[in-house]
This record gives sequence, C-alpha cells and structure tokens, in this order.
Amino acid sequence: MNLAPHASILAIAVPLLGGFALPLWAKLHRRLGELWLFLVGAFTAAMVVLLAVQVFTGGIQVYTLGASSPGETLAPGGFPIRIMLVVDGMGAFTALISVLVALVSFLYAWRFLTEDHGKTLALTLGLLLWAGMLGMVLTGDLFNFFVFFEVTSIAACGLIGYRTWEARGVEAAFKTMVMYTVGGLLVLLAIAVLYGEHGALNLAYLSSRIQGSLPDRIALGLLLGGLLMKVGAVPAHMWAPDAYGEAPAQAVILLVANTQASLYGLLRILFTLFGGITDPVVGWLVTGLGTVTLVVAALMAVIQTDLGRLVAYGAVSQIGYMLLGVGVGFTVIRARPEYGLVAMQGGIFHMLNDAAAIGLLFLCVGAVERAAGARDLRGLGGLSHDLKWTAGFFLLGALALAGIPPLNGFASKFMIYESSFRLSPILTALATLASILLLAVFIRAFQGAFLGPRGKPSEPEPFGMVLAMGVLALAVLALGLAPDFFVRHLVAPAAEALWQGRDLYLAAVLGG
Amino acid sequence: MRLVTGEGYWSPLAWLAAAAGVLLLAGLLWSRGRRDWKRGTEEELPFLSGEAAPEGARVGGQHLYWGFVEGLRPYVERLRAFHSGFVADYVAWFVVVLAMALLVAMV
Repeated sequence: MNLAPHASILAIAVPLLGGFALPLWAKLHRRLGELWLFLVGAFTAAMVVLLAVQVFTGGIQVYTLGASSPGETLAPGGFPIRIMLVVDGMGAFTALISVLVALVSFLYAWRFLTEDHGKTLALTLGLLLWAGMLGMVLTGDLFNFFVFFEVTSIAACGLIGYRTWEARGVEAAFKTMVMYTVGGLLVLLAIAVLYGEHGALNLAYLSSRIQGSLPDRIALGLLLGGLLMKVGAVPAHMWAPDAYGEAPAQAVILLVANTQASLYGLLRILFTLFGGITDPVVGWLVTGLGTVTLVVAALMAVIQTDLGRLVAYGAVSQIGYMLLGVGVGFTVIRARPEYGLVAMQGGIFHMLNDAAAIGLLFLCVGAVERAAGARDLRGLGGLSHDLKWTAGFFLLGALALAGIPPLNGFASKFMIYESSFRLSPILTALATLASILLLAVFIRAFQGAFLGPRGKPSEPEPFGMVLAMGVLALAVLALGLAPDFFVRHLVAPAAEALWQGRDLYLAAVLGG
Repeated sequence: MRLVTGEGYWSPLAWLAAAAGVLLLAGLLWSRGRRDWKRGTEEELPFLSGEAAPEGARVGGQHLYWGFVEGLRPYVERLRAFHSGFVADYVAWFVVVLAMALLVAMV
C-alpha cells in the first residue's frame, strides 16, 4: 500500500491512537510498551519527513478527509466544507522541529524515568502532546486548530503535573491550566465570531472572505491575545517559568516545542488568515512584546538560584528573540523586503536553534537533578567529576543559547540583530544586552553546578540519556557550522511560504 | 559555507580559522609561562584577595559576577514583584496583553 498520499493524516493519527494504546501494551509487558513507543515514534517521524520532502520538492500538500480522493478540496457547490490538512513550508518546518524534539524526549525518557515514577503515563501524555502539535501545524481548518490547541493544552498540563507526589508540579500544572483555558476560550470566541461573520471554518476560505470588518478585527485581537499568551510573551509569560521549571526534563522539551507550535499558529493567523488586512502596527506589537520578553526574562534569570527556573527564564527570553525576528519582518517586509525577509528567516531559524539548545540545557538539568537530587545552585558543585558528558553538553548548550559563535544561536541572532538594527538600533542594543546577561547567567550556573571540588559521589548518566543529549548537541554543532545549508533548504522555504505563499495557500484549497 | 544576511555574511569556517590562530597564539604565550606550579599543594587554593582561605572554601556559582548581579538587583527585584506566583495576577497580566492586542487590531 502506498502511504505517501496519506502522510499528513497518518502523522497525526498514529501518535494520537498510539498514545492511547501505549498503556495497554505496557500493561502486558514493559518491553512491549517500549517496542510500541519505538514503532509509533519511528513511523510518525517517517511520515513527517516524507511529508516535508513532498512539500519542499512539490509545493503545498492538501489532504481532504471524507472526500472521494484526498485532493478533492471542494464539495459540490464549490464550498470547502470538509476537514482539510494543508501543509506548506512553514507547517513542514515546524513539524520537523516537533519530530526532533519528540524523538529525543522519548529516547531520554527511556532511561530517565522508571515505572515507579509514572513512565508509561508520561510517555502516553508525550505522544498525545506530539499528536496535538502536529495537528496544530498541519491542519487547514480553524476549528480543528482549536481542537488540537486544546489537545496540546490538556496533555501539557498533564505532563507538568502528573507527578502528584510533588506539590510544586501540581501547582504549576494548575496555573498553566488556568492560563491555557482562558487563552483557549478566547481563541474559541474568535473562531465563533469568524464563523458567525462568514459561515465557514476553513482557513483558506475565511482568508479569502475577511475584509477587515469590526468582527474580523475583534477576532484578530482575540486570536493574537490567546496565542501570545501560549507562546509565553511578557507579561503573559508567568505560567512558563513555573511549567518549565517544575515539569520533568523529558516533558519540558516537549513544552518548548509546543510553544513553537503556538508561534506557528500566530504566524499562520497573521500572514495567512489575516494576511490581506493586517498592517505594520501589528508587527510593532509583536516586535515590542518580543523585545520586552527577551530583556525581562534575561533579567529574571540573573537572580535565579534554582537551575531549572534559571534555564526556564532562558527559554522564555529565546521566545522574545523569535518574536523580535518575525515582528520586525512583519513590520517591514512589504516596504523593505530585502531585510524584512532576513528578519523573518532569523526568527524562524531561531525556532530550530532554540529547540536544540534549550532542549539540551533542560535535559542537562534533568541529569543534574537525577544525580544530585537537587537543583539549588547554592548547594550544587563539582558535578563535572561524575557527569562529564552532562557538563560538556551544558556548556555547549549555554554558549549556543547566549549566541557565542560558531554555535547555532549565533547564526540566527546575527540575522535578527542585523535586520532589527535597520528598523531601530535600540532593538538590537536591547537584544544584545539580553544575550550578554544570559551568557553571565549561564557561566554562573555552569560554575555553580559543575565546577569545584567533588562533592557527594554521583552515579553517571545512563547511556540512553547521554545519547539523547548527544543528538541535540550534534544538532547545535551542525546548525552552527552549516547555517547556510539549513537556511537555504528549510528556513527560506518556510519564510517564503508565509510572506509570499498566501495566494498559493488559497489557490491550493480553493482552486484558481 | 556562507550565510548571506543582507548586510554582509557569516562564515563559521572563517571564524574557526581565526579562532585557531588565536588559540595558537594563546598556546605560545602559555608555553612561555612558569613551569614550577605544583598540583596538590596550597597553590591550588582559591586566591581571596590575599586572605587565608577558610577550611572548605569554594568559589561557587553565586560568587561569580557578584557586583554585576548586585548592581542589577534593585531593578530585578521590581520585576520579581510582578511575578507574585498568584494565578489571579497571571490572568490580570494576560488581560493587559489582550487589551493591547485588541487595541492594535482595531487600529
């Protein structure tokens, strides 16, 4: 059977159904559960890679559910009423990020978690979160976007708080749940407004009908608010340090990827759904919030003594860089495409770089917590004697995140700095200041946790955890040493899909 | 292997070549240094402004950039006050973002 035409739906359905089946296999035998997870993960990754190859070589891929053939987008009468998956360069790019992060997360969890600590539950929730992320980035239907938005919210809150024997995790899950619920309700309200106005939920059809009426603009504001919260933009970011700081390491990197799926949603709303009516002032909002986010989060990281929360604020600050890049791009791309596009590419490239670098740091935090039983930097020290791999990986991730060349964070930040400077040098100065702060913060953290005389002897990291961290470390190096390759083949098509791809997106669904 | 950025370009390989040159120079300087340092002696103790190091003294992470952190503390403490930990405050700040988004969308 040729699965290639069905790659997009299989990429969502397999982890979704596979996640629900995982506890059943694990109940029969632990090894069966692990084998099932491997099969589901490998198959889903293969489908996403196949889909990405189709998109990057053949253009936008459309899959219609319930039609006589997947390419039949319009029902009799010429109306796109069926549920549809529409994948362009940006969707494929974000889906590939989720694949990298999810596979590393499951590999890490293989040895990081034990059955006594809810391993099967965590892996089940992880698969559901991955399915939700893939659904968000592959769907071409606004209501389906909301459904998968909620799937990710529920799975994410479960992953933050499933360790019910630790009160802080449960508290963080509750706070995140409140924020996600309020944000989700606003997204749903926006969809209801658009449905009431235009009588449709298909993203391409809605985009072709939106003229900028008052209800349209109210819906845009509600969607912007809900998605900016889920992205973690300051000052609606406060759930993020709690969630990232308290969730176990293998879950946190999935939460980071989930944030990026939400950023994808924000970009899809701005460039495709409302691409015909939005003006540069929206770009200024995103730019302003991005700049505030990167500075405030870096400053907050300075005074943290908990290694997990310190890295969590580092992660929030990186969201600021992404918002700054795409915000500058959105503001100027019509008037000055030569540097607007570089800004867009910088912001989008930073999504991938952030997934690798901050993911690596969170996995290192997990290894430290596992070895030392604590994360307070005032009590840690000398761990590099026993955790040699973790120490090296932490240093690599920290330098990458701070934007030290030739590592990956530098390449994308360089693009953001250059382009934001053309809009306003103040933006670049603040972004550079935040990077300097982060470098100082992470050097302190490295010194505090890993250097100094050996303390209590610690058990070295298991091979599975080292391998998972090694994959992300390799990604950090590869993205840093060959940035042009990744920008040309992955980032540029993603940016083009947003900037100039709206007409193609609409034509792929509506014809013409 | 050059990333073209509009204004110029970034070449990691050129940077690595330059870094190798700097490392070579550093190695040259280091090789001309003193060779009588002994591991396992008091020379390994941290230097604390010439004061005798107390038993078990260790320069931890919290001691690095001490002045830098203390200088920033008054500003950061104001920011910390916003991070109250109360979920009602989280929602209130979210309402602020929502109001900004709606205002911008209406313009």
